[in-house]
Amino acid sequence: MTTPAALPPLPFNPGRVRSYVLRLPLFTRLVLLVILVFWLLELQTVWSVVTWGALIPNEINIGTSMFLLGTPFAFEPTVASRNGSGLTLVIVYRLNTYPLIHTGFFHAALNVLALTPLLERFEAEHGTLTSIALFVGPLSTFPGGLYTVIERFLLKSNTQVIGSSVWVFLLLGSEAIRTFKSSPYFSLGPYKIPTWTSPLFACAVLSILVSSASFLGHICAILIGYLFGLGYLKVFVPPEKVLRWIEGKLNLLGRLPHYVSVDQKTFGRYGVLPSVNAAATIRSLRNNPQFLFGRLPNILSFLCIVVGVAWLLLLPLDEYSRQTYISENALLPGQVHAYFTGSEQNIFRGYKKELQGLIQDGREQGPLNPAVVSTPEISNKISSILRDAGLKVATQKYEYKSAGITYQGENVYGIIHAPRGDATEAIVLVAAWKTADDELNLNGVTLALTLARYFKRWSLWSKDIILVFPPDSKTGTQAWIDAYHDLHPASVQPLPLKSGALQGALVIEYPFEHHFRSLHIVYDGVNGQLPNLDLFNTAVAIASGQMGMGANLQEMLQHDNSYQDRLKTMMRSMTKQGLGYATGAHSSFMPYHIDAITLQPKGEGWEDEMALGRTIESLCRSLNNLLEHLHQSFFFYLLMQTNRFVSIGTYLPSAMLIAGNFTIMAIALWMRSGYDSDGKSTLGAGSSETGTSKSDEKAASLKGPEGDQANLNGNTVAERVLALPLTLVSGLHLLGLLPLWTFNTIFHQYFLFATYAFVLVDLLLPLTLAAWLSHGLGVSKPFIPQQYLLVKSFALLILGLCLSTLATLNFSLSFMIGLLSAPLSFVTRVSGSASTRYPVAVLGLVLMNLLSPPAVLLGGSWFTGVSIETILTQAAFGWDVWGMWTQVVVWCVWWPAWLTGCVLLGSSLF
Amino acid sequence: MVVGRRKAAVFGTAFALRLILVYFFPSLPDLLTGRVEVSTPVNSFKRLQEGLHLYMRNVSPYDGGVFHQAPLLLPLFSLLPNVRYHPISTAIFFAIVDLVNAHALAKISESGQSVQSRLHSAMRKNIRWDGTTVAAWFLFNPFTIATCLARSTSVFTTSGILFAVSNAVGGNSLNAMLALGLASYLALYPALLFVPLVLLSYDQRAEKTPQPPSISHFVAQHVGIFVGSIAGLLGLSVLVTGNFWEFISATYGFHLLVPDLTPNVGLWWYFFIEMFDSFREFFLGVFWLHLASYVGGLTTRLRRQPLFVITSLLGVFAIFKPYPSISDASLFFATLPLYRHLFPFMRYTFFAVSALLYSSLLGPAFYHLWIYAGSGNANFFYAITLVWSLGLSVLLADSIFAAIRDEWEQDHPERRGEEVKQV
Repeated sequence: MTTPAALPPLPFNPGRVRSYVLRLPLFTRLVLLVILVFWLLELQTVWSVVTWGALIPNEINIGTSMFLLGTPFAFEPTVASRNGSGLTLVIVYRLNTYPLIHTGFFHAALNVLALTPLLERFEAEHGTLTSIALFVGPLSTFPGGLYTVIERFLLKSNTQVIGSSVWVFLLLGSEAIRTFKSSPYFSLGPYKIPTWTSPLFACAVLSILVSSASFLGHICAILIGYLFGLGYLKVFVPPEKVLRWIEGKLNLLGRLPHYVSVDQKTFGRYGVLPSVNAAATIRSLRNNPQFLFGRLPNILSFLCIVVGVAWLLLLPLDEYSRQTYISENALLPGQVHAYFTGSEQNIFRGYKKELQGLIQDGREQGPLNPAVVSTPEISNKISSILRDAGLKVATQKYEYKSAGITYQGENVYGIIHAPRGDATEAIVLVAAWKTADDELNLNGVTLALTLARYFKRWSLWSKDIILVFPPDSKTGTQAWIDAYHDLHPASVQPLPLKSGALQGALVIEYPFEHHFRSLHIVYDGVNGQLPNLDLFNTAVAIASGQMGMGANLQEMLQHDNSYQDRLKTMMRSMTKQGLGYATGAHSSFMPYHIDAITLQPKGEGWEDEMALGRTIESLCRSLNNLLEHLHQSFFFYLLMQTNRFVSIGTYLPSAMLIAGNFTIMAIALWMRSGYDSDGKSTLGAGSSETGTSKSDEKAASLKGPEGDQANLNGNTVAERVLALPLTLVSGLHLLGLLPLWTFNTIFHQYFLFATYAFVLVDLLLPLTLAAWLSHGLGVSKPFIPQQYLLVKSFALLILGLCLSTLATLNFSLSFMIGLLSAPLSFVTRVSGSASTRYPVAVLGLVLMNLLSPPAVLLGGSWFTGVSIETILTQAAFGWDVWGMWTQVVVWCVWWPAWLTGCVLLGSSLF
Repeated sequence: MVVGRRKAAVFGTAFALRLILVYFFPSLPDLLTGRVEVSTPVNSFKRLQEGLHLYMRNVSPYDGGVFHQAPLLLPLFSLLPNVRYHPISTAIFFAIVDLVNAHALAKISESGQSVQSRLHSAMRKNIRWDGTTVAAWFLFNPFTIATCLARSTSVFTTSGILFAVSNAVGGNSLNAMLALGLASYLALYPALLFVPLVLLSYDQRAEKTPQPPSISHFVAQHVGIFVGSIAGLLGLSVLVTGNFWEFISATYGFHLLVPDLTPNVGLWWYFFIEMFDSFREFFLGVFWLHLASYVGGLTTRLRRQPLFVITSLLGVFAIFKPYPSISDASLFFATLPLYRHLFPFMRYTFFAVSALLYSSLLGPAFYHLWIYAGSGNANFFYAITLVWSLGLSVLLADSIFAAIRDEWEQDHPERRGEEVKQV
């Protein structure tokens, strides 16, 4: 046998061609065979291979294919189908089949001619298994995917492509890069042309010659080829270990002819595998404490915050939110006919006249004030109407004092005893004389009275129905529900008449005279508690499905289902949840685990009070069906539309990430404080363990013989001085009780003054503390740098702990506070020369003061146009009456952490 | 007397802190008494009140099945003014008990037994805290404060155990056995500490006297004292209640058979809620056996450091007892600072402390979600009790690792500072 190199070059040597063809390796043969088979298949007319397998951009589902592009071994259709998704198979196989199919003989033949040498060389170089993995996987899907994206989203057209020319250009591209590395330029006269451009020329020439060739498709292939040649796609190459294992297990080399083994490859592998690189990186990281404890936590913390916020912004997308559904089958919303019509309207009008007359009388006698609706006459009137309808009636007087304002009134309520029940369960209907927006709710009250009379005549109730008529939406229901559970304060009368466990509550509002268009559902409770999602869903299903009137939420009367509107709805609900105030009469029920919503008619339309009455009737019938307390559906959710929601599992990570950023920083600072404060010594990995291991030695480590331990461990691990930092941080947290007490106790006239006073305190207190810490002022030793680290570490640890706990109770509040205190992770004691230190510290202090709790309060007041006094009166009222604890979080979690941050900044001035 | 002044300051501050908390937050003791993390059926002050009420009216305190504590507590508490009208006197009493416990702890620490005993001498014996610091650790631990404010009767068991140990390290083995008898009489499980305590006493005796008595003779003698002390206390109890079997089944039967499955920070309640009744007896046996099995293993392995065996057993009890509360954890945390010299060997303390911190905040939050808000369920709270137990176990295992490592370094001085791998 002579070697081919020894032969004289002949223009055409059949023997050489023959030996070349006979020596073609396995995968190349397979590809050629498949191309041939597909070409033969195309000859028949029954089934069009081209339309089956071509890459048609519009046929590619972007979400799915993107997913598959990311997983190098899930390309084969069989794998996709084994994963159980027939849809995925249908959509994605095109990304793998298009290079194997050709339009006709010439197309196929030319491509085969161009492809064979290139592919053969590739396989000889990389081995059969690798070639299979790459060509079945990324090397056909990547160019295909890129082409699809450009064609579909940039060019907005839908040109189909097929043919193995994509591989030809891809391989040319990667070869060109290799050539470029050895000989960067070829000279054409005075011009130097980079060699890597050669495939581009080829592509351009081909496009000119063959008009049907897809220029874009080839360019995509070349681009991927460049990437491959530059080594960016190395990650998709299966690890050698795996390949060897497969080869050894299956004995591929022995069984398959023309198989190119991993060991037979012409050239080496692709350098060092990424995993080895990562290990080296980690090793070098561990030897670099400056980066590990200094820069890395900053990066991680920042990343946590960014991802947390981005996560929240993703939620309104279809992929992350879900369609609502009724989980409790017993509810059967809208399955019954509502009979509240016709003659009931006359009764409604009659009642309304009577009440109107009394209100007019009251106004003529007393001052012209819509507040005069809970006069004894009106209470008596309601009582007598209810009594005439056959209900048991009782009244309850109450009085609350908050911020120097007295709130008093009288609740009237009646109970319809269930003809089929045993008075162990009840539903509540509330119609307050004043709505949540302080409007006169005459129609609502009248409707409730009419419904009482109407419901009393039905025999199908298996739960008692209680009708409550409080004078306003803020205090009345709270007094009533507290007394119902015997948890009322002394200033509230007990209830003389009670029923069973309350299963649900509906609040009726109808504060205008015209007809309405749609139903607005309010569902937020005190402290961000929410009613079971099933109750909300039932109301939506009945209002929009059965009654055909449509439902809204969060004052989004125009909702076009766009991302913006969803986000807006979500943000509004998060604001309400985070502030934690009562949004209506229903809110008071939530702390007692009674699901409640307020129904408000909105807009101008053709629905009248009878339609609202029918909705309530249908809702009551649904609640009447309940066999046990609402528990099936979600209690934690964010609604972004009447029929879309996100559940806690999806949204919680966002607040947890933000809370986690503080914990990461705290841990890093703790570790850093264990190192020698000067950072002179570079420490091995072992010493960091020693550093962390002392986490529960606290106050008295002052007395530990420091040098001794350092000697024993053979490195300089700084002993932590914990007593003062611990005292300072816990002292600052206790100090938070002072503003908490002040803002909930003083009279409402002084709120504005107190706020400004606290702005001033926030300005001066950190500086005073910082001066004291830096100089000691004769009381204690001045702080050393390590103690500043520890102070920050403890403060952030507490903040992170509290916020992550809070996130499980009130997600929105935790998120808001987390975001507002996010800078605290990054502010620290500034060191350096005086000329840079002072301006930076002063600027930081100014910025921090803009984010202080009172400053944020002032900003919020300015932004919403609500006066400080109103906000704080409401807050104090919430604290005293509703049991709201937003203030505790602000003053005992946020404020101390903020104060610590400012002290650290301020200490750089001294 | 610099040390004396420091000690007085620590004790005075701790005492004042407890009274200030009671005075400024009058509802705090009752709130804590109601928390499942603090009060279990066998140490709840509320249940004690119920028993006391019955006792004062000459009804058997165990009628009604609410009270399950030792009968001798009743005459003691009937001497105190009614807590309803004079809560401060009860608060003062419990604060004093805390101080007494802290004093015993300080004595244990000052004896130096934790670093230097007959068979063992720690490598880093100069890294240690003095008695006042160890006492301060106990007195200012939030868990101890919560237990004290909640007036949980576990503090008496704690006293019994701490006095037993402090007498044993002081060489007074008779008093040690009597104190352990009291603790076992109150809560049953401290009886498991008998073996290491006897060994501790024996080591003391052997160190002091030139002719040590034979160990079997010593043990037999102390078993006698121990059993005698318990028998005496039981006899007194019969005088108080009148019906022997009734109080035995209501107290020790209640401990052993775990009929009350109110949630607590331990691992038993959820298991036994989920379990089919037919398997109950079997698993009761298994759980108790598991708890008791640590005694033999730890005592044998750490024969040279009996005090450390007691410390780690206290940790085991805090995790695996049928009705554990945070007072058990606080006792474990109180004895850990005795082993300050082992801290450099411990590797997962930050993780363990973080887990404990997180679970002590999330536990009440999840309990609220389950019981009050209704939006969670039992699994929420149970998950947190698992995290809590995990935190404690990691701390315990880590300290045992450190102790063994210390012994190993003592045996192989030439290989000090080498990396070890735990398998």
